[in-house]
Amino acid sequence: MQTNPLDEKRLQQLTQAANLKKLPLAKLISLFENRSEKATQERHDIIHHITNNPKTFTGKGVTIGFTGTPGAGKSSLIAELCKTLTQNNDLRIAVLAIDPSSQKSGGAILGDRTRMHSGSKNKNLFFRSQASNLELGGITHNTFQATRLLRYLFDLIIIETVGIGQNEIDIQYMSDHTFLMMQPLAGDQIQFMKAGIMEIPDSFIVNKCDEERLARTSYHMLRASLKQSKLIVLNAKDSFENAAKDNIFLTSATKHKGIQELAGFIRSIQRNDQSKNKKPKDIENFYLQKTIQELYGKFGLDILSQEQEALKQLTGYEEKMTFATTAIEQRILER
Amino acid sequence: MTEPQKHQITDKDGNATKDRPWIFRTYAGHTNVRKSNELYRNNLAKGQTGLSIAFDLATQCGYSSDEDIAKPEIGKVGVPINTLDDFAILFDNIDIAEVNTSMTINGTSMWLLSLYVALAEERGVPIEKLQGTTQNDLIKEFLARGTYVFPPEESIKLIVDMYEFCLTNVPKWNPSNVCSYHLQEAGATPVKELAYSLVTAITVLDAIKERNCFDEEEFERCVGRVSFFVNAGMRFIEEMCKMRAFTQLWDEICIERYKVKNPKFRRFRYGIQVNSLGLTEEQPENNAWRILIETLGVTLSRDARCRALQLPAWNEALSLPRPWDQQWSLRLQQILAYETDLLEYPDLFDGSPVIESKVNDLKEQANAEIQKIMDAGGGVEAIKNGYMKSQLVVSQAERMSKINSGEHIVVGKNRWTDGIESPLVRDSDGGVFKVDPESAAETVSALEATKAKRDDAKVAECLKTLRETAIKGDNMMLASIACAKARVTTGEWTATLRDVYGEYRPPTGVEGQSLSIENETLDTVREKVKTFMDTRGHRPRIVVGKPGLDGHSNGAEMISVAARHAGFDVIYFGIRLSATDIVQSAIEEDVDVIGISLLSGSHNEIMDQLFEELDSEGAKGKIPVVLGGIIPQADAEALKEKGVSAIFTPKDYDLMEVMNRIMDIILANDSE
Repeated sequence: MQTNPLDEKRLQQLTQAANLKKLPLAKLISLFENRSEKATQERHDIIHHITNNPKTFTGKGVTIGFTGTPGAGKSSLIAELCKTLTQNNDLRIAVLAIDPSSQKSGGAILGDRTRMHSGSKNKNLFFRSQASNLELGGITHNTFQATRLLRYLFDLIIIETVGIGQNEIDIQYMSDHTFLMMQPLAGDQIQFMKAGIMEIPDSFIVNKCDEERLARTSYHMLRASLKQSKLIVLNAKDSFENAAKDNIFLTSATKHKGIQELAGFIRSIQRNDQSKNKKPKDIENFYLQKTIQELYGKFGLDILSQEQEALKQLTGYEEKMTFATTAIEQRILER
Repeated sequence: MTEPQKHQITDKDGNATKDRPWIFRTYAGHTNVRKSNELYRNNLAKGQTGLSIAFDLATQCGYSSDEDIAKPEIGKVGVPINTLDDFAILFDNIDIAEVNTSMTINGTSMWLLSLYVALAEERGVPIEKLQGTTQNDLIKEFLARGTYVFPPEESIKLIVDMYEFCLTNVPKWNPSNVCSYHLQEAGATPVKELAYSLVTAITVLDAIKERNCFDEEEFERCVGRVSFFVNAGMRFIEEMCKMRAFTQLWDEICIERYKVKNPKFRRFRYGIQVNSLGLTEEQPENNAWRILIETLGVTLSRDARCRALQLPAWNEALSLPRPWDQQWSLRLQQILAYETDLLEYPDLFDGSPVIESKVNDLKEQANAEIQKIMDAGGGVEAIKNGYMKSQLVVSQAERMSKINSGEHIVVGKNRWTDGIESPLVRDSDGGVFKVDPESAAETVSALEATKAKRDDAKVAECLKTLRETAIKGDNMMLASIACAKARVTTGEWTATLRDVYGEYRPPTGVEGQSLSIENETLDTVREKVKTFMDTRGHRPRIVVGKPGLDGHSNGAEMISVAARHAGFDVIYFGIRLSATDIVQSAIEEDVDVIGISLLSGSHNEIMDQLFEELDSEGAKGKIPVVLGGIIPQADAEALKEKGVSAIFTPKDYDLMEVMNRIMDIILANDSE
C-alpha cells in the first residue's frame, strides 16, 4: 500500500481538528467511519502523518469503556463524570455512545444526547453517537475506527456500549479500563452476574445508589459474589469505606454521589496499563481477525494465519487489511 | 303539583326543572400582563365567572423574560409573569376574593400559587377566600406536554406540599388537576387515558398519605379536592362511555383504596377540552363539525357530563386562534346549552345494555393496565423507566400508520380531499394571530424596574431560606410566599430549586419503536437511502430536536421513528434545546440534515437564532435544515429565504412522503 503525503486541504482540516475545532474534527471522524475504498487510503495516509508528527497530536488517548445493561444509567453517569472531569479544563474528552440499529430497516435511533443533554461549545468535550450497524460487519467497527483517530487528539475517550450483545465482550479489547455498570443489586442479578459478563470488567460501578443504605447493601452483596467467583483480586477488607480499593464504585448520578471519587480514579488510569498481569492488547490485530472472519469466515482466518509473517512486515491497520483481503481474494480466484 | 315523569329532572320540591349548563371557559392570556388584564376584565364584564389563565412557556418552565431561552417565547402562548408586580397588574381591578382562577401551570405551580397568595395578603384579602386551580400535573408533563422542571420525586413532593398548605390555609383551592387531556393528544387510547390519569391521581394521593399530615376527615376532604381535566375525541360514543367509566372507576378507587366515606368527596369532578389532535389543516372548516361532535360525547350523558368545557378553535392546525375564532367556539356551547333541550332530561343511557357493556369493557382493561403499573412500582417508576411514554409513542405510531394506509378515514385528509377552497381562510390577516413584538420589551423593562427598586439583601435572604428549606425537605410554601413578597423573579425561584433538586430528562419513549408502514413510497425512500450509502459510504444521518421551550414532542417523535424506518441513523435530541445545543450536535454528529419541530409560534425568532449559530460555526448552507410544525403559510416564504430547505405542516401526514422529500434534499446537497 502506498503512502501519500496529505494535500493542503486535508492538512488544514487535520490541524484544525488537532485544535479541537468541531466541524473539521467531525468530518474526520466520518472519514474514519466511512466504508469506501478511497477512505481506506486516506485513513492510512492520515495515521501515517499523525504518527510522524507527535508534537502536533498530543492526545494521551486513554480509553475507558462503560458497559452494562440498559437502565443502569450509563448515559446519566457519563454526563455527570464529564461535567466533573472538564471542570479544570485540563482534560480533553471525547465520548462515543453506541445505540443499536434496527434489524429491519438498518436505521437507528441514537438517543444518548437527550440523556446527556450534550451539545456544548466547550472544545474540551466532544460527543458522538454511533449506530451498532449490524449489517456492515464488525459490530463496533466504527467505534474502533473512530478511536484510532481520537486517541491522538483527546486525553480521554469514553465509550458507552449498547448494553446488550456481542460488543459487551469487544469493549475490553478496545479500552484501557472497562467498567461494568449495574443497578443496586437484587438476588436475581447475582445469578446473572455469574454468567460470564463478570469476566470482562476491570472495575464495577453500582449506580442509582441514591441512599447510603442501598450503597452499603449493594457493596456487600457484590463483594461477596466476586469473592466467591474469584474473578478479580479483592484488595480491601470487607468494608464499605474502602470499596474503591476493591475496584467497586457506588454512585448516584441524580444525587451527585460518588462522582468525585470515580472521576479521580479515572484520572489515574494510564494508557496500555500492563500491571495486574494483564496481557497487552493488540486491538488492531483483534479487529483484523474479526473483520476477516465476518467477511470470509474460517477460510479467511486460515489464510490470515498463513500470512502472519508477511503481515508482520507491515505497519498500519489499513495496510494489513488491504494486504489480507487481497491475499484472500486471490486465493478465492485460485480455488 | 303533577307527578314527575321518568323523562324529567326534578328539583328538591319535586317540580320538573332543568340542569344549569356547564361552565363555559376560554383559555386566555397573551402578550403581556396589561393586555391580558384588559382581556380578563372584558370577559368578566360579559358575565364570565371564572378565569382560565394561559402562561407563556418561559413562565411555565421557570425562566424570567430577560433570560436568553425565554426571549423568543415572551407572550407567545400566554402571559409572561416575572414578579409579584406583574401579578398586581394582571389582576388589577379584579376581585380575587370573588373570581375563580384556573391556572394552566405545572412545573412552577408552587411559585404561581405563592404569587397569588402574596398578592392577596398585600391587598388584605383573606387567603381562605381564594378559589381556583393550579394544573400541577407533572406526570403528564413528563409524558406529553414537556413543561416539567424538577425530577419526578421532587415534583411530587412539591405537589404534596401544596395540598398540605392549601387544605388548612386556602381550602377552596384545587392544588392539582389530573390531566388526561394531553395523554390523548400524545396518542393515548381511551384505555390508556383512563389508566394513566388514574395512576397519576393515585400517585399524588399515595404520596399525601405517606406524608401522614392529615387526619381521616382531612384526608377525605383532600381526596375531594382532586379534579380532572379530560379530552374527548371523534369516536364520541366511546368517549361518552369513557367518561362513565372514569366516574365509576374513581368512585371505586376512592372507596377501596382511600376509604372515603362521604360520597361528596368521591365525585369525579372534571373539566374538558375537546380534542385538537383530530383537527385537520386540510379543509379546516370541517373542524367546526368535529368540535361539535366531540362536544356531544361529554355533554349527552348527564351522569358523566363535564362541569366545565373549553373548545379549541376550528383553525388551530393553521395558527394560534384569534378572538373571533374563540368566539365561534363559545357560540357552539351556548347554542347547545340554551337552544336545545339537552339539559331537561335525566341520564339518557342508564339501562342501555350496549353502553353498560362498553363501559365495563373499558373499565376492565383500564384496571388491568393500572394494576400492571402499580405492580411495577407505581407512577413515578413508570415515568423513570419510560413505560408509559413508550406506550403513548406506540399508539401514536399506530394511529399515524392507519391514517397513512387509509384504514383510519379522515375526511379531507385521506378521503374526499378535493374541495372548494374555504372563504374563511382568505381573510385579510391571513387567519393568523400575531403577538406585537414591542410588547415583549414592555415586559422586560417592567422586570428591570422591579429589580432596580427591590431590596437586594432581602431577596438574597429569602432565596437562602428557600434553598435551606429545600435541602432540609420541609414544606416549601411559606418560603416561596416570602420570596414572592420580596420580588424574587420566576427565574430566580426556579434556578434555586433546580440547583438543589437537579434537572431531569425523562425517557423519550422513541427508542425501539417502529412503524407498520409498508408501501411504495417506503420502497422509493429506501432505494434512495441505498443510493446515498453507495455514493457517500455511510447512512444518512439526521438530528431531530425541538428548540425553545415548547414541549409538544409528538411530531418530532413520529419523524424520528419514520426516519429510522426509512433507514436513517437518527440522533434524537428531544425537547427544550437552545439553538446552540442543536447546532453543536449537528456539527459533532456530522449530520446530513437538521430536522426542527416547532409549535409555539416562535419559529421566526428561533430559526434566526439557529442560522446565526450555524453561520458562526461556518456550517450555514452546508447542512440543510427542514422545519415541521404549525407554520402559517404567510411565514413560509420568509423562512425559506432565511435558508429553510423544506417546511412540513400537519397536512404532510404521510410520513414516508416527508422522508422522501428529505432524502431528495440530502441527495441534492453535495457541499463538503
